[in-house]
Amino acid sequence: MVHETLSATNAVVTLDVGLPGIVWPWLVTINMWAKSIGTGVIFMLFFLLRKYPHDARDLRFPTTVVSIVFIHIFLLFTLADLHQPFRMWHIFFYPHWTSAITVGAWMATLFVGLLFLLAFFSFIKKDNAAFDRLLMWVTILAIPVTLYTAGLMSQCTARELWQMPTESAQMMLAALLAGSATMILLGGKQLSFEAKSTLGVVLGLSALFAFILYMAELIFGPMKAEEVGAVLAYIKGDGEYATLFWVGQWVAYLLPMLFVMLSRVGKSESILKLAALLALAGLWVVKHVWLMIPQLLPMS
Amino acid sequence: MGTFPETKRTFTPLRCNHCQNAPCERICPVSALHYIENGIVNIDKERCIGCAGCVMACPYGAIYIDPETNTADKCTYCAHRIASAMMPSCVVACPVEANIFGDLDDPTSNISKYIQSYQGGVQVRKPEKGTNPHHFYVGGGNVTLNPLASHRAEGHSLFNKLTSKMPIGGHH
Ligand code: SF4
Ligand code: SF4
Repeated sequence: MVHETLSATNAVVTLDVGLPGIVWPWLVTINMWAKSIGTGVIFMLFFLLRKYPHDARDLRFPTTVVSIVFIHIFLLFTLADLHQPFRMWHIFFYPHWTSAITVGAWMATLFVGLLFLLAFFSFIKKDNAAFDRLLMWVTILAIPVTLYTAGLMSQCTARELWQMPTESAQMMLAALLAGSATMILLGGKQLSFEAKSTLGVVLGLSALFAFILYMAELIFGPMKAEEVGAVLAYIKGDGEYATLFWVGQWVAYLLPMLFVMLSRVGKSESILKLAALLALAGLWVVKHVWLMIPQLLPMS
Repeated sequence: MGTFPETKRTFTPLRCNHCQNAPCERICPVSALHYIENGIVNIDKERCIGCAGCVMACPYGAIYIDPETNTADKCTYCAHRIASAMMPSCVVACPVEANIFGDLDDPTSNISKYIQSYQGGVQVRKPEKGTNPHHFYVGGGNVTLNPLASHRAEGHSLFNKLTSKMPIGGHH
């Protein structure tokens, strides 16, 4: 394939390998971020309906709508990232089951279908019992839908940084963080401060565990693999993504943890909402940095 | 390679390795990347949806999104020529026969004999990835085969100035 013709010499540069560069851009960050919210709110609704059934009784439909919206953002950006988006149907007609992309696409499609069924039960049929029964299955399905991206990242054999056990934990923590943050903001007057405070605990603990995992990777990763060390150099010292990495850690994890604690001490809902907003914004940054840095390393 | 002024230029083809356990084939959601009977990892461009999963999976940077077709592409060992009992174009074109191609399962083939005669000096790239590459190197040094050994923090080197239609796939 001809890639560049230098007019001065008429020399033709032909490449037999790709150049280093960003292959999965910010569209994929939005994909992961939106999916965390889309499945996270389902986890939280399931939890709230058990722990605070009275508070959460009117959140069935709004939560379903939020999940539908964010899962569609996730699907839309997945589609936008394809270089041949009109061939998306190939996944359903020529599925290759060893690929996490295939498994994820099928599960996400089923998930969307069930979300619409939830909306039907809550908005049209107004049948809470049926909604709650189905919600249990939707919550169970939300687990692999959340996790499949970790499977996909670990199938990226070229990107040593993304290891399955860590990424699956990070995906779950991201969903719990985003889900609790969104529910704090969505809860309005229906959720009592006590219920919101409990969501704050989920938010704070998810932030803490995710932060611990990132720090563990940052400190111990290079001791195991040379390639991980080379990738992490981009977020250390004056590395290209060092500032953004720390902005993400502070905004997604450290500040929300602090604000969750302050909101409990001062019984302040506003501070809790601030923690939720920061966590949602910071999560995007954290995910983006982790997506970008392994792509900076030349493979050839 | 080397340290100035004791430097020299070397050339090493770093194409697709036609891995026996190919991460690109595994991750492809639509089997656009597939094995053919002779072991070649081939690509069906009509099937490809351009998800770039294979680009993210190949540890050798051997696959890219063709900016003209918007589908993945890579060296196929000229599978279409092999099907007509011809050698890959690079084998034919190379004036010093640096590329040796053949049937590894046949102990009398040129490639099998060549590998046998260089026992101990034959390498594959990144064996730790468990991909079982089918592309072997004789006399290839660490600097040419291991990108970390020649890694430059500021980026890649030879084709830095290419600006149009770069086969990296990102529409960012
Ligand atoms: S070298 Fe890369 S593109 Fe070629 S078969 Fe192996 S993983 Fe696939
Ligand atoms: S870009 Fe094409 S060949 Fe590569 S994994 Fe996606 S569908 Fe398969």
